[in-house]
Amino acid sequence: MTMFAGTLPTLLAAADGPFIATGSAPQWVALMPGLPLLGAALCVLFACLNVKSKLPGYATVALLAGGFVTALAAFLQGPDGYGVATIFRWIHASIGADADASITANFGFYMDGLSMLWMLFVTGLATVIGLYSTEYVASDKGLGYCRFFFAFNLFVFSMASLVMADNLLLLFLGWEGVGLCSYLLIGYFYKKPEAVAAAKKAFIINRIGDLGLLMAIGATFVVFGTLEFRPLFEMIAQGVDGKGQAIGHTWVVVVIPLLLTAGAFGKSAQLFFYVWLPDAMEGPTPVSALIHAATMVTAGVYLIARMFPLYAADDAMVALTVVAWCGAITAFWAATIEFAQYDIKRIMGYSTISQLGFMFAGLGLLGTTGAVFHVFTHAFFKATLFLCCGAVMHGFGGQLSLRRLSGVMWMKGFGITGVCMFIGCLSLSGVPFTAGFFSKDMILAQAFATPDEMIGGATFIGLLLLLTATMTAYYTFRVFFRVFVGPRHFEPGEDDHGHDDGLGHDAHAHHHHNPTEEEEGDALHTGFHPHAPGWAMNGAMVLLAVGTILVASLYFVNKKEDHGWAGTMVRHSTAAYPSPGLAHGKDKPAATTVEPLPLGAPAPEHGQAGKPHAKAGTFLGQDPFKIMYYVSAVLGLIGILAAAWFHAPKGAWGLGIGNRELPSKVRMDAVAARFGPIPKWAENKWYVDELYHAIIVKPLLVLSHVFHAFDKLVIDGLVDLVGALPRWLGTLLRPSQSGVLHGYATGMVAGSAVLIVLVVLVAMWS
Amino acid sequence: MAAKIALIWPEIALFITTCLVMLLGLSPNKQWRSLCLPASMVGLTVAGVLAAMGMGVGGPVGDTPLPYLPGFIKVTVAGVGLLLLLLQAGLIDRREEALIASGRAFSALRTNRAEYFALVLFSLTGLMLCASAGDLIWLFLALELTSLPTYVMVAMSSSRNRAQEAGVKYFYLGALGAATFLYGFVMLYGGTGTLQLATMAEVIAAEGVNTITMAGLLLSVLGLAFKIAAVPMHFYTADVYQGAAAPVSAFLAFVPKTAGFVALLLICSAVGWTHGESGNALPEALRIMLWVMAAVTMTVGNVLAILQNSIKRVLAYSSIAHSGYMLVGLLAGPGDGTFGGSGVSAVLFYLAAYGVMNTGAFAVIACLERKAADRGEPMEVEDFDDLRGLWKREPALGVLLAIVTLSLLGFPPLLGFMAKLPLFTSGISAGEIALVVVLGLNSAIAAYYYLRIVKAAMIDDPRGEPGAADSAVHHPAYNLRLVTGLCSALGVVALAILAGQLAERVTEASGYIAPVGPSQPVGSATVLETETLPVQLPMT
Amino acid sequence: MLLGVTDPVAYLPLAVILMAAIGFSVMNLVLTRILGPNRAGETKALTYESGMEAVGTARKRFNVRFYLIAMVFLVFDVEVVFLYPWAATFANLEVGSDDRLLWLARILFFLFTTIVAFLYGLRKGVFRFD
Repeated sequence: MTMFAGTLPTLLAAADGPFIATGSAPQWVALMPGLPLLGAALCVLFACLNVKSKLPGYATVALLAGGFVTALAAFLQGPDGYGVATIFRWIHASIGADADASITANFGFYMDGLSMLWMLFVTGLATVIGLYSTEYVASDKGLGYCRFFFAFNLFVFSMASLVMADNLLLLFLGWEGVGLCSYLLIGYFYKKPEAVAAAKKAFIINRIGDLGLLMAIGATFVVFGTLEFRPLFEMIAQGVDGKGQAIGHTWVVVVIPLLLTAGAFGKSAQLFFYVWLPDAMEGPTPVSALIHAATMVTAGVYLIARMFPLYAADDAMVALTVVAWCGAITAFWAATIEFAQYDIKRIMGYSTISQLGFMFAGLGLLGTTGAVFHVFTHAFFKATLFLCCGAVMHGFGGQLSLRRLSGVMWMKGFGITGVCMFIGCLSLSGVPFTAGFFSKDMILAQAFATPDEMIGGATFIGLLLLLTATMTAYYTFRVFFRVFVGPRHFEPGEDDHGHDDGLGHDAHAHHHHNPTEEEEGDALHTGFHPHAPGWAMNGAMVLLAVGTILVASLYFVNKKEDHGWAGTMVRHSTAAYPSPGLAHGKDKPAATTVEPLPLGAPAPEHGQAGKPHAKAGTFLGQDPFKIMYYVSAVLGLIGILAAAWFHAPKGAWGLGIGNRELPSKVRMDAVAARFGPIPKWAENKWYVDELYHAIIVKPLLVLSHVFHAFDKLVIDGLVDLVGALPRWLGTLLRPSQSGVLHGYATGMVAGSAVLIVLVVLVAMWS
Repeated sequence: MAAKIALIWPEIALFITTCLVMLLGLSPNKQWRSLCLPASMVGLTVAGVLAAMGMGVGGPVGDTPLPYLPGFIKVTVAGVGLLLLLLQAGLIDRREEALIASGRAFSALRTNRAEYFALVLFSLTGLMLCASAGDLIWLFLALELTSLPTYVMVAMSSSRNRAQEAGVKYFYLGALGAATFLYGFVMLYGGTGTLQLATMAEVIAAEGVNTITMAGLLLSVLGLAFKIAAVPMHFYTADVYQGAAAPVSAFLAFVPKTAGFVALLLICSAVGWTHGESGNALPEALRIMLWVMAAVTMTVGNVLAILQNSIKRVLAYSSIAHSGYMLVGLLAGPGDGTFGGSGVSAVLFYLAAYGVMNTGAFAVIACLERKAADRGEPMEVEDFDDLRGLWKREPALGVLLAIVTLSLLGFPPLLGFMAKLPLFTSGISAGEIALVVVLGLNSAIAAYYYLRIVKAAMIDDPRGEPGAADSAVHHPAYNLRLVTGLCSALGVVALAILAGQLAERVTEASGYIAPVGPSQPVGSATVLETETLPVQLPMT
Repeated sequence: MLLGVTDPVAYLPLAVILMAAIGFSVMNLVLTRILGPNRAGETKALTYESGMEAVGTARKRFNVRFYLIAMVFLVFDVEVVFLYPWAATFANLEVGSDDRLLWLARILFFLFTTIVAFLYGLRKGVFRFD
């Protein structure tokens, strides 16, 4: 509370409403998007100069590090630095003297706890992963290298614009920008048809979600008359629209949030939209780590957190209930698919979808702090996991199947990779005292703390999430037990991650001499030598693994006041909300002192007018936020033990219960055989892609062909029809024109006639 | 009358330039002949400056319910027209000039340069005159002055049979379209008893739209649909764009389309967006017609574009789709007069934006040529394969194509996005939610084929070796076309940054004076007076 | 006051005339077919060229000047047609009024365009017969 006193901007809304930053942020926050933009420009310059060294990569890392330092500096200012920084006027069109009738969208930045938190991990992770990439794509030095880092920089710029925007239009700019960069980077290995198809799929599915966002922006402008956050949130906090009318029980608080949700679900790969993310794993692994695990896919979470006051303005919580349910179902759904996947990168991709589901469920269950904290911790441990998978892929010629790899950790040069992977797996599984443990617990507990009267079926969502958490622990350690420990074995992949020029690759092979003792049982590929990660990749993995360990401690920062550091950040943002069960004493301003409550007692009714006065729920009669530690720890352990029983090798690393001796023969096979075709269905992702193809892509193509056929057949057919009329009429009337021209004219006249008849019919009917 | 002359100074300047260019191009002296292009550009610049000077408050205004429209349209036409003119460099008489340089005697009958540039300028003059129109006869003549030269330009643009065929097709179908809207104009006169748009607006405001007027409106809109390439008058588009040389296709995509939209705006303004239950819509029958036309046009355009392999056909079908987008703004009408609320300002913004970015796309195509395998004459690039790996062979052209294509796709923060946004908001303001959803879905579909272009140019590998017989290369003779592409890509970025200024200009230009009925009873002599017409029409 | 009338019934006479016109032309064509004797023959199929013996086909390329002369003639022909009504109206305008000046300016502008057309024809070599 001490951080938030004295000269700070006033809280505009009621005590527990959203925090609206009214001050002004320093102009130099523009360096956060500015430096990557400069980097992008430099990469174009390097491309034109035909630079063939790693210079573009190192320049990028240096500039991104500059961005991270800027973010740190802005963070250290604390809430004093929160506010708006307008860089330049972008669009300002006013009409006449009436100042209200204007549209304003500045190139300006809105800094508060939420954007600050996002920028910290976006710039930080971008720097580390940029460093990793300098080595990862080194075999492609030259134009391709410049192109990669150009898109990388442009991505960070767009992401910064998205997160820091002070109006919805700039946010949309960033939103589309990250989508474009994602498209460019997924398609980086353009020689792989799968990569190109995946890039297109990602872009087009995102466009459908973007349509929702665009319509939400349009509707927001029509209703509120502004797109700028500050006036927008001031109006929402007062519960009125641009004309001063109450929005409480109108379509505004239902339809706009639902449209926003569609946009968020597209970007964050949630239910109905998620199919693009697993395919996006065709892109280079650093890209998967940065964009498709840590940053871009959390943009949907950011959008909902940012616009949370609008969601919360609905007494019936319709949109939030939708968000919570979809999030929970996605989390569970993706976890079931993972059970039967064998490509470790795809497993991580589905795991990301699942974890994003947790975040959305957290938001929907009114637990913004938990959701945002999970975004933060997930960014670290999932990036670690991806970089480790990337190191394996890089080392074994693109091999990703967990049936063809075993004991990687014991091979020369892969020790660091294994240790980092282990740390990441622990965190993802939610083993006690890891970062993932604390953040996931907050969401799980929230599900039970939020009463069913506020979010329908919250308890059921909680149970579903608990089940998913157990499954998460299982599938995470399934990968670890099979790939990283056990007897050493590998079969190299078909390609060396997409580079077929072979230049840099040879260089690699020379560095890493032939470790013959590692090639047990694989005589076919004696010519192949795994190349262990170099200093840049190892350094990046270690940095992230250490980060994964350290972010856990953030849970204890400001624990008493705000439920951890993330709570402090959220409280100083528009996502601030008196979450049931968490509200007592912490989300009130300093002026209001609340008696600490005894354990397990119902939370006080929170004061926001018009909200149903529901009591915070309990779990087994206890405060969910206390008991969930034990529950989830036990469930996580069960998941890990199950993974060990089914997949682990003999010995200490199998926790004494594993019995795997061969890389591809495990106890699970026998179990799976009993389920008949179901594992096969799960392996084929429940055929959702095929379903989409049948119900969306096919009809569109058919429509396309129908129009084409209309042009070619019907019009030409009409010509034939005219020709088939009595001959004397034909010779009398038909001038010597080409058939096509004749057909076009017939089409024009017939089309006009149809239109006029239609108009007359409709006009008569209405 | 004097006010009218003050309004058309840009056109007069342009006409005088045209006369000059027509004579310059026939000079036996090569230096004089090569002055055609610079002279045209100077004349167009002068016309643009004259129009811009008159644009501010107190400048001459048109005599329609959209009085501030002419200034903005003329400045836009001058701006985009300069790009289009620059793009025509190297198109005409390339072989003839080469022969003259190698010793052949100059023959005025064999060169086409003078005629060609005169036709271009005539067409642009006609377009400006469209914006100045205050009555239907003027409007019709101006529309025809815009279109007639384009028929000849198509046929002249290339010595290939395909161009001749396209020219003939375009002419006949254009005549059908012109006949349709002329018939519509006649019925408008019959229904309202006046040719003056301002008077017509008063009559309609006073006594509503009667059956004959409505029939005239529907026919006019259908006929003008030919100019903007909207369904059902869209059939010619792909064949003609493909048949004509790329610089001419670029011209066709902007000039007749703009003329058509100006005419549609003027006619709709005379009818008034003052009907319907809300009192700010077009009459119901017209609204239905435009609604269906908009929805079908954008869908047909986008869906057919998906199937194409020819890059020019893709751009042609996308041009159809863009017309469909703009019809949404036309349907929405001036709304509350704000930027974002007014469909008229959205249309004006989109026209300017579309002109800049579409010219850029065609400029890139026009820069490239393929050596023909058999004979000497080089060919234009045809399908997607020709663009493959453009970024590797011609980095500048690749980047240009990517910028303008993404802008056409409506990608933020580029100009195309800034232009599409007010179409969405004005549609929502006007309550046309369903149409806006169709618009949104179509924007998503459009991503498919635009991204194919970007992918071919930026991601794919070049086909064959550079310099091989079938690889498309930038010809040095087309450096001015490259400049055009650069200018339009620069425009796409710069106008996006200056979108605020542009938005203010279009908001001013879309100022709409909703007509009120005359105080006298309808049918009295005052309504029927056509005082500015030099020849009194017989009235009994 | 035909113009003010918007009642469709008032246009009935127009429709009658239209139908009569179409009917008459169609009837002529059909009746000629049915009633007229149809004696086809070689002589009858010959090209008629003012009683002269036809030489070659009609699809012969004429010198382009043939058309150019025709078009240049049109330019000046139309010019004269416009000059008559102009002169008749100009005489009725009040001497010394602004209108008179405007009308003079108009016809001068019109003549300017004609001169340009003439110069264009001259430069194009239309008037040279060599």
